[in-house]
Amino acid sequence: MKASKQAQRDAKQLFQACLTDGVLDEGRALTAVKALAEKKPRGYHGIMAHFQKLVEMDVAKRTANVASATALDEAAREKVRANLAKAYGDNVQVNFAEDPALLGGMRVKIGSDVYDGSVKSRLNSLEGSF
Amino acid sequence: MSTLLEDIQAQISGVKTSVAKENVGIVRQIGDGAAKIEGLTDAMLNEMLDFGNGVTGLALNLEETEVGAIILGDYTSVKEGQEVKTTGKLLQVPVGKELLGRVVNALGEPLDGKGDIAASAAYPVEKIAPGIIARKSVSQPVQTGIMPVDAMIPIGRGQRELIIGDRSTGKTTVAIDTIINNANANQRAKDEGDDSYRPLYCIYVAVGQKQSNVANTIQVLEDNGALPWTIVVNAAASDSATNQYLAPFAGAAMGEYFMDNDMDALIIYDDLSKHAVAYRQVSLILKRPSGREAYPGDVFYLHSRLLERSARLSEKAGGGSLTALPIIETQMGDVSAYIPTNVISITDGQIYLETDLFYQGIRPAISVGLSVSRVGSAAQIKAMKQVAGKTKLELAQFRELAAFAQFGSDLDAKTQAQLERGKRIVELFKQQQYNPLPVEEQVAVLWSMQNNYFDGVAVESIKDCQAKLQEYLRDRKADLLGKIKAEGQVTDEIAGELKTTIGEFIDTYK
Repeated sequence: MKASKQAQRDAKQLFQACLTDGVLDEGRALTAVKALAEKKPRGYHGIMAHFQKLVEMDVAKRTANVASATALDEAAREKVRANLAKAYGDNVQVNFAEDPALLGGMRVKIGSDVYDGSVKSRLNSLEGSF
Repeated sequence: MSTLLEDIQAQISGVKTSVAKENVGIVRQIGDGAAKIEGLTDAMLNEMLDFGNGVTGLALNLEETEVGAIILGDYTSVKEGQEVKTTGKLLQVPVGKELLGRVVNALGEPLDGKGDIAASAAYPVEKIAPGIIARKSVSQPVQTGIMPVDAMIPIGRGQRELIIGDRSTGKTTVAIDTIINNANANQRAKDEGDDSYRPLYCIYVAVGQKQSNVANTIQVLEDNGALPWTIVVNAAASDSATNQYLAPFAGAAMGEYFMDNDMDALIIYDDLSKHAVAYRQVSLILKRPSGREAYPGDVFYLHSRLLERSARLSEKAGGGSLTALPIIETQMGDVSAYIPTNVISITDGQIYLETDLFYQGIRPAISVGLSVSRVGSAAQIKAMKQVAGKTKLELAQFRELAAFAQFGSDLDAKTQAQLERGKRIVELFKQQQYNPLPVEEQVAVLWSMQNNYFDGVAVESIKDCQAKLQEYLRDRKADLLGKIKAEGQVTDEIAGELKTTIGEFIDTYK
């Protein structure tokens, strides 16, 4: 469902009220959603949908998905965590996953940023250069 | 040998593969050549986006959670959920002299099957127009080769002159004649080795036209030897609205290359009505709010920023010029519609073509009363000013008198003389299409008219007499024409020669 302009504005206001020091307070967000569901103000469906989208984007900004061709050992994982914390701050949630299709190397996605050091992407760019 | 191997090994071990940061988004919605993309937090306005498989997009709407982009080329291969990357580059097109003689699309890719274009440079499609410091007032003429235009509505290099009229009133023909005349002049100067002549390179941008019309135009240019001096940018009716919207800007970028490098260029936008329609489509698909006639609010800015890029630069800023001849098609002669008034107010004058005149056989069907050139008279050569100064007034008086003369037959001798003269001027200003006249011949003909040499010739024979006079001057008195061209004015000596030459000719013609 597409949220109306007013619903989008309300959702954004609500979202901003849930921030403490620029970081989303999960408890507050949950309370806000519960209150919305109970009171059912005008256009609450749209507000909730847009609020969810904003939270999703906020979570995505703080979640790094690290895909590698083979499972990484703990030392490598720690290195990745440390590097990500240096670039994006301490409160980054790092998820590790295996993706054999990458052939080698790893691919890190955090928010809209992608660091692609996989063999697959290099082969693709090589193919594109011909 | 072993040290060499060691060196190479050391080099190889020193090579590090760095991983670049990319900014990506996911396609959430796709249709009608526009995509909504989630993510892309670093996207810039007008940045090229890489959709993969060689498909490129252009970021036009930067919203809070999404980016609205239009897709250049084939959008059918783009799928929902697909990843899109930013490229960090603004949309640019190849520019340079290598494009002359070629037919390209809105992205500067060849359409004529003559192979790749090895362009020397690339310019951004959107560029802010030169500022006031970089500019200079118009001082050199663009000879259109069309007598009524060169005599009464002169155009200068760096000017923006609108060509406006209903459908099939000869708007494109005026533009094509101008290209042919300038290509001829360029070629003549090149053949004669005249280094002082500044060639005028032409760019013809076809927006939303029938492919068959564009093919005809290209054929005409080729037949008249004008194609080697011209770049044709084609975004035909079958192209996407995106390409039609971008084509004039791409053409302007190609023209700016000449302007920035101390050369002169002429660009024809054929036509901006269809451009506005294409932009309306793009805006509506991107869900931008619509205004009058469903055009978006920035349709004025769309054309003003495009036409402002035409300029005459000062020597310090490069010294070149870009002259624009935008074309607007009116509906039922209504110049007060939205887009025509916009473009009229932006340009430095207009050539108004009338359907009635066209069907009366007065071709080019230029309406003298409604056509003006606001800055061009400063660029008119002196010879033309001398012989054509009063023509516009005489013709306007003739139109007024002719309307009155319909009601009464008893006219005094002075009025009758004015009417007779007006009829002859109208006849002289009729001109075949694709048949531009060099300025020296125009001066000779207009001089003859001003000095009453045509008064003794019957109105029906004026055209024949003019053709024979031009032939006579070209074949027998080429040195006199050469003198007019070289001097740029009608001196007493030239006037004397003209008097004897044309006197002799008129006597034999009778």
